[in-house]
Amino acid sequence: MKDFIILADSTCDLDKVMREKYGIDYVAMNYVIDDTEYVASLDWESHSVKDFYDLMRNGKRVFTTQVPKNVYYDKFKSAIEDGKDIVYISCSSALSGSINVAKLVAEELKSEYPEAGIYCIDSLISSLGQGYLLIVASKKRAEGISAADTAKHIEDIKLCVNQCGTVASLEYLRRAGRVKASKAFFGNLFGVKPIIISDRKGQNYAYKKAKGTANARVAIAEHLVEAANGVYEDLYISHADCPEEAELLKEEILKLAEFKNIHIGVIGPIVGASVGPGTVIGFCFGTEVTIEGNE
Amino acid sequence: MEQQFLSGSELHILFTNGYRSLKKNMNSINDLNVFPVPDGDTGTNMVKTFGGGIHSVGDNVENVGEYMKALSHAVLLSARGNSGVIFSQFFYGLARGFATKSEICFEDFTYAFECATADAYKSIITPTEGTILTLIREAADFLKANGYKYNDFKSGFEALVEQMKLSLAKTPELLPVLKEAGVVDSGGAGLVCFIEGIYACLCGESIEDTPDIVDLISNTPVQNMNFGPDSVLEYGYCTEFILQLMNYKTDIPAFNLGSFTKPLEALGDSIVAVHNDGIVKIHIHTFTPDKVLGYARDFGEFISVKIENMSIQHSETVAEAKREKVKYAIIAVASGQGIIDYFYSIGANVVIDGGQTQNPSVDAFLDAFKKFDAEHIVVLPNNSNIVLTANQAAEIYTDADVRVIPTKSVVEGYSALSMMNLWCDTVEELIDDMSSGLADITTAYITTAIRDTHMDGLEVKKGDIIGLDRKTLLVKGNDKVATADSLIAKIMETSNKEVIIVFYGSQITEAEANSLKDILSNKYPLADIGFIEGKQEVYDFIISLE
Repeated sequence: MKDFIILADSTCDLDKVMREKYGIDYVAMNYVIDDTEYVASLDWESHSVKDFYDLMRNGKRVFTTQVPKNVYYDKFKSAIEDGKDIVYISCSSALSGSINVAKLVAEELKSEYPEAGIYCIDSLISSLGQGYLLIVASKKRAEGISAADTAKHIEDIKLCVNQCGTVASLEYLRRAGRVKASKAFFGNLFGVKPIIISDRKGQNYAYKKAKGTANARVAIAEHLVEAANGVYEDLYISHADCPEEAELLKEEILKLAEFKNIHIGVIGPIVGASVGPGTVIGFCFGTEVTIEGNE
Repeated sequence: MEQQFLSGSELHILFTNGYRSLKKNMNSINDLNVFPVPDGDTGTNMVKTFGGGIHSVGDNVENVGEYMKALSHAVLLSARGNSGVIFSQFFYGLARGFATKSEICFEDFTYAFECATADAYKSIITPTEGTILTLIREAADFLKANGYKYNDFKSGFEALVEQMKLSLAKTPELLPVLKEAGVVDSGGAGLVCFIEGIYACLCGESIEDTPDIVDLISNTPVQNMNFGPDSVLEYGYCTEFILQLMNYKTDIPAFNLGSFTKPLEALGDSIVAVHNDGIVKIHIHTFTPDKVLGYARDFGEFISVKIENMSIQHSETVAEAKREKVKYAIIAVASGQGIIDYFYSIGANVVIDGGQTQNPSVDAFLDAFKKFDAEHIVVLPNNSNIVLTANQAAEIYTDADVRVIPTKSVVEGYSALSMMNLWCDTVEELIDDMSSGLADITTAYITTAIRDTHMDGLEVKKGDIIGLDRKTLLVKGNDKVATADSLIAKIMETSNKEVIIVFYGSQITEAEANSLKDILSNKYPLADIGFIEGKQEVYDFIISLE
């Protein structure tokens, strides 16, 4: 059985402990603040969590860039030279163009190394939703499943990862062009929280509203528990520098269903740049996502 | 021999006199306001309600049943305000009572008042005693016991007027808020004025006619702006203004409206001119509004001016002919240009200009309903009187399923709009979303007291800044911003609110708004605070706390 590497990128929001536990490597995107480019490290090597989100709170714009082509090239090539296949589970193509770059590089390398197995999977989700799929892939690998079969399994289940969360302000998502919601739906509104899911196309989609933070929490909890559909295994919660909110959401969800494994993580700089501080998102496995934002 | 029988046209003359009496007393009826707030509107609403009716029926319908049917229908369409709606139902009931009559005698009023009482009570979900309703009911009881005693209309109406005055005087005993404010019920007072006018007419006295109140200045927000840099000004401007004649500019007692309007004829057409007590109202279609205004200013100063490009109005009418097909149409009521614009920006399809001081009529709602070919129409009123009018309009309209969410203030209307989700599958879901959280909203107001009063334990002087929620006078002060601050603090004492939204009025400067915003941000760091330039009249701040 040919071994394979499992590759993520900066949007998977898995910290060092998790990545080491599951043997997951990642390629980094970059972010730019005041014309200076920083590597979007999942271990917060350029800015601390607090510094990064405080910059955003103080009005600094953060721009993000795709994974550079040469980074993919080097990472893929070194895996191939080690005699390994590659399963790359990328950020949703609706949020980042990185997957397209990866596929181009994979094509190039395949003409050079026809026997190489390079599987680039568009996760259609981000943050710990993407992280969840990476962990599933790692477990498959541990069971001795091949790269090809693991990739197929991930493709089969990826739309069953459900996301539901809310942001402190829609302004960041709107500025980044990364939310589907009409102007009338979330025009200049006060006291209303958007409930955001990842839809079938991997877009962040503000599909309903809630009055105030407490009601938003209840709506998110209900959505996730309903999506989990009776199987309460893994629950992932990620937050943009608001651990208290993540705890409150966890409690709200636990009121409705006893998930066995709960992991809370921090939203990294790439997802963070487009959702903004104060964002809290829950993820769980369940029924296939059917909603598709169209406005 | 006094008159024993009345035909439709004779009844019309009596009603016209009743209407004139009501009109003459309109302002004193408006002043019978429970709160010392300059938003009393009962007189205006009743005049507009009945005025819209009497002007649209002919004076030559002899059959009483036919006349009353036409009149009551027209009154119903122009009904506005709580008392206006009850007043319209009163006529609807009378019409029912007279339905089969070609002429009537006084005793016929006994049955007609019985019908009127039933219909008036039916129009209100929770009827309150000590109001116009009580007057109608007690008049009906009186007629039931005594109506047969009167052979002619004059003696009958004399007794009826006496009876209704007694009822009116008793209203403060039945309704404590009236007693505390030291007033009688305004709607009841309006009804008495109307009946007195009829009696005066029967005595041979004709009440002098006063100008009708025309909604001369109504700001229709311009939508579908299709007048561009290369457009041709085809129709000129519809120009309306109210001019206060000035002593130093003209001899007011000698002012002659005819000679004033003569030169205007050279500047435009469709001229409508009204003069009353030194105030002149003019409506004119002209290509040169600048010249019209320049001329008028030689006589006085403007109270208000409205100029609308009629090419735009025209294309709106053309656009209206092709009604947009929509699943849901959202109709809100708001006053204040800022609030109206804001409501459009967050998804209202039509915003009817109206509120406490200017209640929209049933007809205004029907006009708004007709603008869309909608499956469902959702209406968001902005006070409880308007809820009533909207319900009445909803009942009449048959081309769509009309739902009224009983939003009782502009901030409740805002809340409903903010929760709207137009892609929900069913109207029930939509209503459910829009109604969510409504019960938790407190609406608070800052305004200026218009008279001295003692209320809710506060001694208020005319000119004081006062802060109220929908039912209670909570604070007073002499600075608008400081009073708003203490009003909010007072409400926050008893309930924990997460969101504070402030609509600031036309009399509030940007600096005042910012100062209140700073105070609130410091005091309530966790609250979500929003400020919107509402440009509303009367209320300097309308505040939503939820």
